Amino acid sequence: MNDYLVLVVEDDKPIRNLITTTLKMNDYRYAAAVKGEEAIMLSASHQPDIIILDLGLPDMDGIEVIERIRSWSEVPIIVVSARSEDSDKIAALDKGADDYLTKPFSVEELLARLRVIQRRLAKKETNGTSEFVNGKLRINYVSGCVYLGSTELHLTPIEYKLLCLLARNAGRVLTHKYIIQNVWGNISDNSEASLRVFMATLRKKLDDRYETNPLIQTHIGIGYRMMKL
Amino acid sequence: MLTGAIILKSERKRKSVNAKLLWVKDPGICIAILGIATLLGYVFKSFGLTDSDIIMLYIIAVHVISILTSRIQYCLISSLIGVVLFNYFFTYPEFSLSAHDSGYPVTFATMFITAFIAGTLANKLKRNTVIAEKNAREKEEAALIAQNERLRANMLRSISHDLRSPLTSISGNASNLMANSSTLDEEARQQIYADIYSESMWLIGMVENLLYATRIEDGRIKLNIAVEILDDIIAEAVKHISKTHPHRNIAVDMSEEIIPVNADANLMVQVIINLLDNAVKYSDEDTPVRITVRQQGEQALIAVSDQGKGISEKDKQQVFEMFYVGDNRSSDSRRSLGLGLALCKSIIESHHGTIFVSDNKPQGTIITFTLPIGKVEINE
Repeated sequence: MNDYLVLVVEDDKPIRNLITTTLKMNDYRYAAAVKGEEAIMLSASHQPDIIILDLGLPDMDGIEVIERIRSWSEVPIIVVSARSEDSDKIAALDKGADDYLTKPFSVEELLARLRVIQRRLAKKETNGTSEFVNGKLRINYVSGCVYLGSTELHLTPIEYKLLCLLARNAGRVLTHKYIIQNVWGNISDNSEASLRVFMATLRKKLDDRYETNPLIQTHIGIGYRMMKL
Repeated sequence: MLTGAIILKSERKRKSVNAKLLWVKDPGICIAILGIATLLGYVFKSFGLTDSDIIMLYIIAVHVISILTSRIQYCLISSLIGVVLFNYFFTYPEFSLSAHDSGYPVTFATMFITAFIAGTLANKLKRNTVIAEKNAREKEEAALIAQNERLRANMLRSISHDLRSPLTSISGNASNLMANSSTLDEEARQQIYADIYSESMWLIGMVENLLYATRIEDGRIKLNIAVEILDDIIAEAVKHISKTHPHRNIAVDMSEEIIPVNADANLMVQVIINLLDNAVKYSDEDTPVRITVRQQGEQALIAVSDQGKGISEKDKQQVFEMFYVGDNRSSDSRRSLGLGLALCKSIIESHHGTIFVSDNKPQGTIITFTLPIGKVEINE
């Protein structure tokens, strides 16, 4: 039996059924809400471990639901949105959502996203240590050294800052804007292009470019995420 | 609000300035041309040419004025002034408005009438030309709209036709499961599940392309051009194809360099997905599909190759046309919509790139396209 309680917020009945059936078959416990207000009440009363939130709700904007929940809780939120625009997802991620799913999504994709979050929740206790270990990657925050297996990587100051930011938020999708603000402090016209080039060289140094399960995922038009391996 | 108001104000100002200019322009033309005619008249006279030649000169001047000015009034006025000028400068006694020869009034009248009629005709001719040009332009626009309409109608017809078969299969299979799931054996049920799944996956892929295609047809496509890393775009497309065709071997030949390109990442991913999808569909299961990347000067060259049957010379001319479907059936014998390559071409061309098809050795097809290299200033 899976211990995780998942709150599903979705007004479209067939999709809600699909998600809850998938959860049930994979031994998750779940609660379901149709409207935003209901979702906020349930997340306060039931204290779910993970929330799956559709952005197009009948009574209020999904972004507002995230804002309200974030005012008291750090519960991981996966938003679900239709294909149309990247801007919705970016807004949701910037307001504190952790991940997103685009309709039409497959059942395997949904389960994979849940597992990413579970890995993060399981490792949360190790936060605050002086060392970060993830697969072959090891960052020693005290000495500022980065190792891949047994070899030390030589990173530029910006690359090191990028890597640490991603490591601290491992499992979360970080938007371009968020990364730029946290690494450079200000946003100029060419900072996104600059970020892309830095990420590409960093991934090259991590030997991560052609991996089937890369350490760092590129989310085109949205941002980047370090996976918990 | 404020800037809006200012723009409005300055626009109004510009309009009134234009109107004023028009008021000055046409009389200016009249004065200048009549002046030139008078000067030429003196030259003619010094060469010993007769009155009738000078009259011809004024008639030509009125002609020119009618063509260059907008209103018929200018033609009338300049005909009159022409007669007066002729009288004043060239008839005896010179530099006076009186004329001693008894034949002159008739000459003046004839001159005025000839000038005025010739001028009117010229003006009419000019107006007709303008109207004809406008008509031609309108006709062209109408033809373009009609063509778009035809394309849209074709698209709708073709889509509704092609939607029918997967939808029939999905709804029929589901209703079978609801009605007789207990009488079906496990193998039959599995087959039905697999069919429902693959039919809906096909629908998903088609809807995606359709969305992009209609966006382009309306001329509405909003390109979101940014400097993107080619690796990322290709990796995303390959990831997608590995999901839809897990058994196929896709070889990626990337350049060692990091290549930044100017592109709309989402559209470019769709282009490569379409190319890979075609390559996978029109070649045998056990043959590899290859994607190679090269940098050539200011261009990145991306090529997708397969070892299928290849494309005939005749089809090569037409593969990029919308709704063109060759004789080749794909390996899953699903009819193609003929949207994929046409969409790729529209997207690549709106990126100032080119796309072309060539033969793979010893057999198969290569589709290559180019993208402009992006410039990046690094913020350290």
